[in-house]
Amino acid sequence: MDFNYTPEESAFRAELRAWLADALPKGWGDTVFEPEDEHERAMFRLDWERKLHAGGWSGINWPKEYGGRGATLIERGIFAEEMARASAPEGINIIGHNLAGPTILAHGSEAQKQRFLPPIISSDEIWCQGFSEPNAGSDLASVRTRAELVGDKFIVNGQKIWTSYAQYAQWCFALVRTNPDVPKHRGLSFLLIDMRSPGITIRPLRQISGESEFNETFFDNVEVPVENVVGAVNEGWKIAMTTLAYERGPEDALGRQVRFKQELDKLVATLCQTTQGGRAAIDNPAIRQRLARAITEIEIVRLNALRSFSRYLDGADRGADASMTKLYWSHAAQRMYELAMDALGPVAPISGHDPAALALGRFQLSWLQSKAFTIYSGSSEIQRNIIGERVLGLPR
Amino acid sequence: MYFAFDEDQKSLGDTVARLLADQDGLRAPDLGRDAVDPARTALAELGLFAMMVPEEQGGAGLKAVDLALSLEALGGALAPAAVLDTLLLSEVLGSHGTAAQRDAFLPPLAAGELRVSVALSEKGCDDAPHAVLARVSDGRLTGTKLLVREAADATHFAVAAQGPAGPGLFLVSAKAAGVSIRAHQDIDPTSGLGAVTFDDVVLDPDALVGAGHSAAAVERLFDGGAAMSACLQLGIAARMLDSAVEYARTRVQFGKPIGSFQALKHRCADLAVALEAARSATYYGIWAYSEDAPDRARAVSMAKAYAGEVVREVCNEAIQIHGGMGFTWELGLHRYLRRAKVIEHAFGAAIWHNERILIETLRDEFGQDATVDWKVA
Repeated sequence: MDFNYTPEESAFRAELRAWLADALPKGWGDTVFEPEDEHERAMFRLDWERKLHAGGWSGINWPKEYGGRGATLIERGIFAEEMARASAPEGINIIGHNLAGPTILAHGSEAQKQRFLPPIISSDEIWCQGFSEPNAGSDLASVRTRAELVGDKFIVNGQKIWTSYAQYAQWCFALVRTNPDVPKHRGLSFLLIDMRSPGITIRPLRQISGESEFNETFFDNVEVPVENVVGAVNEGWKIAMTTLAYERGPEDALGRQVRFKQELDKLVATLCQTTQGGRAAIDNPAIRQRLARAITEIEIVRLNALRSFSRYLDGADRGADASMTKLYWSHAAQRMYELAMDALGPVAPISGHDPAALALGRFQLSWLQSKAFTIYSGSSEIQRNIIGERVLGLPR
Repeated sequence: MYFAFDEDQKSLGDTVARLLADQDGLRAPDLGRDAVDPARTALAELGLFAMMVPEEQGGAGLKAVDLALSLEALGGALAPAAVLDTLLLSEVLGSHGTAAQRDAFLPPLAAGELRVSVALSEKGCDDAPHAVLARVSDGRLTGTKLLVREAADATHFAVAAQGPAGPGLFLVSAKAAGVSIRAHQDIDPTSGLGAVTFDDVVLDPDALVGAGHSAAAVERLFDGGAAMSACLQLGIAARMLDSAVEYARTRVQFGKPIGSFQALKHRCADLAVALEAARSATYYGIWAYSEDAPDRARAVSMAKAYAGEVVREVCNEAIQIHGGMGFTWELGLHRYLRRAKVIEHAFGAAIWHNERILIETLRDEFGQDATVDWKVA
């Protein structure tokens, strides 16, 4: 066990830190913030991702031959820490970077890797995920979207739901039914679908936060070339499990931890500056106890990810451990935002631009958004089933 | 950057676990102490007490982090409570002891001949190690310490007290005139907890550990005790979770193993996740302690507070999952519950450590001076 860094790792950190100091707008995080309009914000994040790519800071631990930096998982961890330190913006091609890319790297053909990985790294192509359907949520293997092979094309018909970023995406990876006559897990395939194809309709869904990040996506006789299937036809479930392991895994968690740490820092700073009942809110012992616990939990999200990295570097497979990672960060983050709303005191409900709002009204939106954490990427109940059965060996 | 244990560290942990697996008496439902001395002897023969003694004094020169998994094994086996004290003293004397203290104490500590019990807690104090009331003046120690592990078996005590130059750690022979011991009535008699009164006890001229930086020695002792206790807590939690999962797998009601019911399956899953989180915090904490990292205090407090809350939750839920059997004396789960509660309150409980986490965070990350300046150095 060693938390010291090698000279190479330290050099990586120093180079990144210097680059970030130049790359972020002047006054970033103090007087300059992300645009508030949802679309403008998306475009701002896209620009930021492309700036990272231009600087050589995209696809950190992906192989160089596909445009990545070829760095180690440890350097990936350093990258996350430095992004947190600089309060750097999030990206928008998260699904491309965290899910599509690793899945294609693990199971794609050489031609698929050459075709799809470089534009993910450069964020020239944004991705969305076509897994859930109205009647296939937690029971994902029961998806009904059909893909029939006709000649050298699949004809896709059906509906996906909760497709985040579909409105920005050029590509969608989808779990579709290619054989309805076998047990449900054995008739699925993993297709890469061009979102510009005729027959695709997107309908935005409004979230409890008021935002419309996710959508319903309809497929009406959409043609997909046969070479866009990842792995073998009817073996898509296994591929989807790889995607889920990444979706729930430590890289994803570490990226999120960056954001949580920034917000927690902001909360602490706000409480230091906020008077409640004749004293600074930070001097309220009840708040201090819960704040210490939140600081610990958000730090544990980071430490959990680092432990997973070391396990993988030692040769362990990715699997059910990702469910533990995801279950932990999602509930820890929800507790943190609940704490924020408690600690802000009587003005907690006041949000946005209201002059009486604290911390520019940012915590109210984050608090609302956090309610999705324990639902997407597999609800907590599904994660607990997986942990109970596959980690602990409890009967079904 | 590598956040895992190496083969030597794992192998030592496995060896300790196997050795203690044979010492069934440690985990018997009844609250006797007959198993303590044989287990301690076996651990001494294994060489456990020499592990953290520097090589110059004939030890293996390992760091606390090298023993993290061994400590976990000790916790899960309900090993004698003051094994911790011996290991801790070997570390603190190695890092802060005078040459004379190292030569006098470390070889017999390594051989398991000395039994030094740490004496910190006092009536009317909180968990802060430097804020004790016991006092040394003119070379004489006066005060009463509570909750001293295996007090009646100790050959020496390591006593935190206010010295002429501030808080310090003083080594006192149990046979010195003016030392008296009263066994506590408490929830875990197997820990041998006692109150030790020092009534104008004349100290050896070389009794103070780390003269010149004595407060740092007190803090090092406290942090080491907290980090190692967190490892013990992990061991207890892991043992209780295993027991609960095994019971849920095999106990049949309504025609099915109860572990197939989500009410219990999900509870077990939550406990497993909590235990892994506690491991992350604790392993980092004991590493930070071993390396004397800049964030040592905060990392150790996170470990002790978090592991303490997790072991409490796992013990409580494990008893619940066992149903009526869990509440029986004979099954013996109460032994883990009792021991865990004692460890929870040793070297600072969660409420105290949480406050320290916040103070450290405000100072290190926000440049804010602590409103309560608890630091000893």
